[in-house]
Amino acid sequence: MIIRHVAVRSGPRVFARRSLQPLRRFLSSEVDPIDQATNNSIKQTQSLEAQLNALPPQPVPSIDPETPGTSPAAQVTDSVAEQYHQYKKRQQLIGNLGSDISPHYQPHTLLNNPPSPADVTLELLLASEAHQGHATSLWNPANARYIHGIRQGIHIISLEVTAAHLRRAAKVVEEVSRRAGLILFVGTREGQDRAVVRAAELSKQYHLFERWIPGSITNGQQILGRCKTKVINEKDEEIPGFEEQLYDRPVLRPDLVVCMNPLENYVLLHECALNNIPTIGVIDTNADPTWVTYPIPANDDSLRCIQVIAGVLGRAGEAGTKQRLLAAERGEVVYRPAKNLKMPGEDDGLANPSPEAAADVSQRLQNDESLGNADELEAKLEDANNGDGRRQQRINLSA
Amino acid sequence: MGRYDLRAIRVRQTAKALYDSKRVPDLPPWYNTVGDIPPSEALARPVLRAPPTRGRSRKPSRMFQPLAIHHPEDKLREDFFGDHPWELARPRLIVEDSGNDAKGFNWSSIVQPGKQLDGESVVQRQMWLMKHQSLSKPAAYDQARKEFYRHRHLEAIKQRIAKEEALHVGAYFGKGPLEIGIELEDRTWESWKKWAARQIEDEESMRSQMFSGPQNREAELGNLELDEALEEVQSSVPGSSAGQSALGGAAVHP
Repeated sequence: MIIRHVAVRSGPRVFARRSLQPLRRFLSSEVDPIDQATNNSIKQTQSLEAQLNALPPQPVPSIDPETPGTSPAAQVTDSVAEQYHQYKKRQQLIGNLGSDISPHYQPHTLLNNPPSPADVTLELLLASEAHQGHATSLWNPANARYIHGIRQGIHIISLEVTAAHLRRAAKVVEEVSRRAGLILFVGTREGQDRAVVRAAELSKQYHLFERWIPGSITNGQQILGRCKTKVINEKDEEIPGFEEQLYDRPVLRPDLVVCMNPLENYVLLHECALNNIPTIGVIDTNADPTWVTYPIPANDDSLRCIQVIAGVLGRAGEAGTKQRLLAAERGEVVYRPAKNLKMPGEDDGLANPSPEAAADVSQRLQNDESLGNADELEAKLEDANNGDGRRQQRINLSA
Repeated sequence: MGRYDLRAIRVRQTAKALYDSKRVPDLPPWYNTVGDIPPSEALARPVLRAPPTRGRSRKPSRMFQPLAIHHPEDKLREDFFGDHPWELARPRLIVEDSGNDAKGFNWSSIVQPGKQLDGESVVQRQMWLMKHQSLSKPAAYDQARKEFYRHRHLEAIKQRIAKEEALHVGAYFGKGPLEIGIELEDRTWESWKKWAARQIEDEESMRSQMFSGPQNREAELGNLELDEALEEVQSSVPGSSAGQSALGGAAVHP
């Protein structure tokens, strides 16, 4: 009954509306008839063609200059210039069409153009996820002073501490590099290889991205005894003819090891500690900071973070190497040359390749090194350590 | 074992000792550097929270544990994602561009250039409304939520139209997740069928091997014997009023 009433009541209205205005559906799907659409598109094409024809005709240079149809050279250059002109014109016309791309993160820039120690900001570290530690249950309590707090079950590393330690480590790398120490950049985790190689490339030092062969330091004569070594002068140019003398020299050891993943490289760090080699390591909240000399508390699982850290240290090494080479250009040698090497032409006499340099260096070291002062400082530091903490140390250092 | 190895931190002291005792001819090149830039102190455990006076944890050792970090948005976030749990299942961009991304946003509108519309937008918009228009928490939530629904709807329409247009001009989007799922299921089903058939075959061959010897006919009752046995128990079938006596069972089940 009700249905019938509804039909009776609203039926005429529906029909009336329909007759007055067509349904919206028909409006939206209304399209040109096919021939009209074709005409339209032909018109468009013709207008485009007209525009193109308005441009002066351009000869297309042949790819192969040997073919008979080649135009003479002058004409080719003309056309090249013309083409360039056209290209510029077109660029001016349509270059700024399309959407604006705001500056955004491009992963390759961290490798191509890594940040220098001066570029380290808390924002950069935050964006590279340096603050994310591990689950709270996995922590090593020795890292307590690097930890800012707990968020969603993981420890958050304090980025201020990270930045401070990173800058300090960069300074160490720079200084060691300036004094011609050998630096080894180690990152054996998957994906760290490029960052490590880049850092070594920048600072003209050494890298390791595969397994550390245990004993390469403690048993180096057996493992690395047959590796090639070379003699270089202060300008990093190789001097040939030392092969026989190099044959029975002890193998080289790094003067500083930078390790991106200390957890997997305990053997390496232990060997360094045994052989009194300072180390720099990225310490996550589950790693032991006493394994390394200079910890950098940061997230070692983020490749972006590792790239930032390796890039910063690489840039620091680059700066140090540059300083050393500049000093070499001025004729200064800031490091102690290798001993017991004779120039290949001479039979005896010279103890090292550049005696003047050695004398200079020894004098510089006498002036510069100030062992006595360093010892005093050390004693003060020990006192400070027995007292309370960091602040006092800093005061003593600056005093 | 339980001891700290501080050799790595004491490299400079060791180098000095070695040099003084003439074990090494000269100091390493990093000697001054490490002296100028000493390693930070290791194994210090600062007090990170006030000693608990009341509450669950009265252990003084808790004083050395880091504190939890709380933000005012946390509760809002919890509310929104509690009401819309499937928002968490949507893929989300979490890569930071510069680390300052959030500073460029102005939450006077829920749509931000350079940020996808998701639950976080609702939370931030709600925060903004509560702060700048001094709306109450539920009112701000309602407004932000409704704006979010509207823009989500528009987004869905945009995507649908774009897909239709692309399909119209000949795009091919490949198989959908359902098709891929069905295909995988079919493949597994077919392989299971093969496996089951092989299994049945094996079992049958095993059985035929087991019974390949002469059949033991003595265990079975002959026709005559069966008849006799049945006659014997005829009187005690359960249908009778007397019921079944226990005696007859032996002949039926030898």
